[in-house]
Amino acid sequence: MKLRRFWDYVRVVRVTALMTFRQNVADMFILFAVLFQPLIIVVMAMWMLKDMGGDYAIWVVVGSGMTGLWSSLLFVSGNSITGERWVGTLEYLVSSPTPMQVVVFGKTLSNVIQSLFSMVLSYALVSLMLGTPINIAQPGLFAISVVFTTISFISFGLIIAAAFVVSPEVQRWQNGLEFPIYILAGFLFPIALLPGWTTPLSYLLPPYWAAQALHATAAGTAQLSGLAVSWGVMLGLSVVLFAISGGLFRSVLRKARVDATLGMQ
Amino acid sequence: MRKLWLNLKLFYEGAVLSYIALFRWLRPSTYLATKVLSPLMMMLFFVFLGTYARGAGNESFYVIGNAVQMAAMSGIYGVTMSITGDRWDGTLPYLFASPANRMALFVGRAIIHVIDGMFGVVLGFFWGVALLGLDLSQTNLASLALVILVTTFSTSGLGLFLGSLSLMTRNVMFVNNTVFFLLLIFSGANIEVATLPGWMQSVSWGLPLTRGIASAREVIAGKSLAEVLPLLGGEFLLGVVYVAIGYGFFNWFEFQAKKRGTLEAV
Repeated sequence: MKLRRFWDYVRVVRVTALMTFRQNVADMFILFAVLFQPLIIVVMAMWMLKDMGGDYAIWVVVGSGMTGLWSSLLFVSGNSITGERWVGTLEYLVSSPTPMQVVVFGKTLSNVIQSLFSMVLSYALVSLMLGTPINIAQPGLFAISVVFTTISFISFGLIIAAAFVVSPEVQRWQNGLEFPIYILAGFLFPIALLPGWTTPLSYLLPPYWAAQALHATAAGTAQLSGLAVSWGVMLGLSVVLFAISGGLFRSVLRKARVDATLGMQ
Repeated sequence: MRKLWLNLKLFYEGAVLSYIALFRWLRPSTYLATKVLSPLMMMLFFVFLGTYARGAGNESFYVIGNAVQMAAMSGIYGVTMSITGDRWDGTLPYLFASPANRMALFVGRAIIHVIDGMFGVVLGFFWGVALLGLDLSQTNLASLALVILVTTFSTSGLGLFLGSLSLMTRNVMFVNNTVFFLLLIFSGANIEVATLPGWMQSVSWGLPLTRGIASAREVIAGKSLAEVLPLLGGEFLLGVVYVAIGYGFFNWFEFQAKKRGTLEAV
């Protein structure tokens, strides 16, 4: 019975992810966040960092791609529940027998995988600008890091989506949350440039550990011990975030059934 | 005389009401996130990126560039949404059916955003001085104020132009976001215009902000108003050109929409 339920959930995740993908490819706002904005940042960063020498090109590819990943997570996955509210389907979603967390998981999975495309595009553009393909030095380890990144971003996305519904006050700060993560996660410059008091904040963010692992494996400077720390922290934070998101989703259901304020903006 | 008075009244009321209409749905936290926190964080991001690229001691280049770039936040997003709002809220047919002076109505949409944009730029400079060590000791503040006013005006001119274009598309935010981010490259806020390829430099000098940012850098370095007047004059003229083109599009859209019955088509 439990196994059957599991496969039911897998089916829901698959269908939701496919449907989300189809909706996203027709939405110019999302296409901007996933495709255009990272490419503009690529061009800007390539120009600004061109005197750095060394492997700056692959640094820019990974960093710019991650900006697309985060912006998409914040604005697209973040709105995955509130979007249902705007079109009046949130109540139906909440009252269906499938847990809402499963549906939002499918949506976030689709968004994160789609956003990884921004890294592919960044790679293509930088190769085009330099006139030669650039190398990912440790492709196997890079691929594993991408998997851990995907898991940790999904868990982060679930928290953001649920938090925006539980507290609309939090969502009002959405526009201001994009660049702080670019900075704290060290997407395009090392966090050593930042004041020391911000370092613990960076350590609490899955995007920081994802950036560490992806930058290091792309540049070929990764060592297994350091990578294990990044992967382990991403996995640990994901478990914690999945658990917290469970609590937040229960709050959403409470809003629906007790307070009857679910549809309110 | 009465007609002039009516047009002035229309200009004033249109300016105030469009601003209230745009922000009435906002709470202070939304305004703070969009107009205070987000620009500050964007400035910090580019200052750190620039410092990483060129080393310490070059912060002021990025601080000034990104502070003046904040004019585009109001000039592009605010102005465009003020114009497009009429279409989405269904008030455009009433507006076009009225005998109101179109120029007063059109330019009135931008005026409060010019003031709001100036506030944004001043705030950017405040952050620069308070957090990033921007030195204004050589600066004639009155000249800097004029630079800010002219640049905010010219950027709002671009906003009026984009607002007119946005009457013909469903993807207003896509257009706004793309132009705003492209300005980060072309305006010289983060990359010196002289280092760009020739064709990109030509585009840069055809856009608002470029001369405004260059003027601000020179005024802050201690140059007099007279010395930056050619740049500033060019920035002002560019603003006038964008307003004129935008107004032309606005009139063309009204004519075509009435002729073809596509006023509310999306």
